[in-house]
Amino acid sequence: MSDVAAAIADGVLPGRLWLYANYHCNLACTYCLTESAPSVSRRELPAERMVSLALEARTLGFTDLGITGGEPFMVPTMWRTVVELAGILPLLVLSNATLFDDARAERLRPLSRLPAAIQVSLDHHDAAGNDEARGPGNWAKVVDGIRRLVERGIRVRVASTLDPEVEVRESDRSALCELHRSLGIDDDDHVVRPVVRRGRARAAGIGVDALPGDLPPELTITADGAFWSPFGPTIRNGELDTDLLVTRTTTPLERPAAALARLLAGGPPTSDAQLGIR
Amino acid sequence: MIVTMSASTGPATERTFRLIRSDQAPLLARPFYARGDPGPIVAALAHVPEILELAVPFISAVLGPSAIDGRRKEIVILRSSARAGCRFCIQAHSVVALDSGLSADEVRALRGSLAIDEVFADRAERQLIGWVDTVAALGPVEPRARAEMYQMAADHELMELTLLVGATLMLNRFCTALDLPTPDDVASRLTEVGIG
Repeated sequence: MSDVAAAIADGVLPGRLWLYANYHCNLACTYCLTESAPSVSRRELPAERMVSLALEARTLGFTDLGITGGEPFMVPTMWRTVVELAGILPLLVLSNATLFDDARAERLRPLSRLPAAIQVSLDHHDAAGNDEARGPGNWAKVVDGIRRLVERGIRVRVASTLDPEVEVRESDRSALCELHRSLGIDDDDHVVRPVVRRGRARAAGIGVDALPGDLPPELTITADGAFWSPFGPTIRNGELDTDLLVTRTTTPLERPAAALARLLAGGPPTSDAQLGIR
Repeated sequence: MIVTMSASTGPATERTFRLIRSDQAPLLARPFYARGDPGPIVAALAHVPEILELAVPFISAVLGPSAIDGRRKEIVILRSSARAGCRFCIQAHSVVALDSGLSADEVRALRGSLAIDEVFADRAERQLIGWVDTVAALGPVEPRARAEMYQMAADHELMELTLLVGATLMLNRFCTALDLPTPDDVASRLTEVGIG
C-alpha cells in the first residue's frame, strides 16, 4: 500500500480528488470563486489529462472524483469525458445545468448507469431570489436542466450557496426544499453552504473568510498546479491565488498527494473551525 | 560553435516578475515566511513550493555556515557574483562580506574596482580568487590551476569551494535573469560604507 493509500485508508487524506476542468463559464455569478465568465482565460485540463489523472488516482487509492470549473460543460466534449471518468471512479460533477437542452442531457444518459451525480447550483426557490446573484433567466434554465437530467435517471444534487450575512427566512428555506423535492431530489442530496470570501466574493466584500482548517483538504488539480481544496485555486483581479497551492507539479499525482498528506500529518496551519464549507 | 538565440525580438512589456507576498505564500512555503520578509530569492522560488523547500536547504548548506570559514566563503561568493555581473548578488554579498570581516577595499577588489594583488596580502586567498576566476570563466579547467589548488586545499575543501562557485553562478543567473530587486536595507548599508 502506498503512503498516499495509507493516508486515505487512515482517514488522514480525504479520498476524493478534484479536477478543475476549466475556468470559463456562460455565467458570471457575483460570488464566483474563480471570477469565471465567458471571456476569461480557460485554463483547461485536457480530457486525456483528466482521464490519466483519474487512473493514477485509482491506483494511488483515491476513492472518488470531483469535476468542477468554470462550467465544465462549456467544454464541448465534456459529456464524453465525464462518462469515461465515472467508469474509473465514482464521480461528482459540479454544473450550473443551464446548458442541458434535450440533446445534451441525452448524451449524459449513460451516467444513470454509473456511480455518478451532477451537483447543480440553485440558491433560491424563486427566480427573483436566485437570479440576483446568478443572472437573469438562470432559475428557469436550471430548473429545466434538472428536470431533463432527473427524467433520464441521472442522480442530481442541489447546492445552495448563501450569503451568511443575509438572514434566510424559514419559509424561504422550506420553499427551496419543497422545490428540490418536487424535482425528485432527496434531502440528502441538498447541500447548503456559505459564500466563501475568495475570488469575486472577496471583491464584493461578501462571504466567510476561510482558512485551510476550515476547508476539507481534498486534493484539487488544476492547469496551474495542485491545491488544498476546490476552494483553493481562486482568481482575484485576474491573478491566481497561491495561498492554498500545494505543488505546481501534478504528474505523477503521487507528488502532490504525498505533499498534501505531509501537510496534513503536520496539521493544517490554522484552526479547525467548522464553517460548513463543502 | 554554438549558435545562440535571443529569447525575444518583440517589444518589451510593462510586466515585471512578481514576488510572492506573505499573504499569498503557498502552504509548503509558509515556514519560510514565518519570520517576516524572506527576501527576494525565497519570494521568487515560492512560485513553485516543491522546488523552494528543496532549494533553500541546499542553498543554505552550500552558501551558509559550514566547515569552510565565512571569510573564505564570502570571497568565493562575491568574486563569483562579480565575474557573473550579478547586480543583486554583488550588492547583497558585499554586505555579507563586510559582516564576515572583509575590509571595504577587499570588497572593492573582489568586485573588480581595485587590483587583487594590491589588496589581498595572503597568498592562499589570492590563489582562491584565481580558482574562482578559473571556474567562473566556464570552459575547460587547466590542470595547472587545479594543481595549484591541490597545494592549498584538501579534497573536501576543494569540492566545497568549487561547488560554492557553481551554486553562486546558478543564483547569479537566476537573480539577473529575473531582475530581482535589491532589498532597501542592503542598498542603505552600501551607501553608508561608500560602496555602490
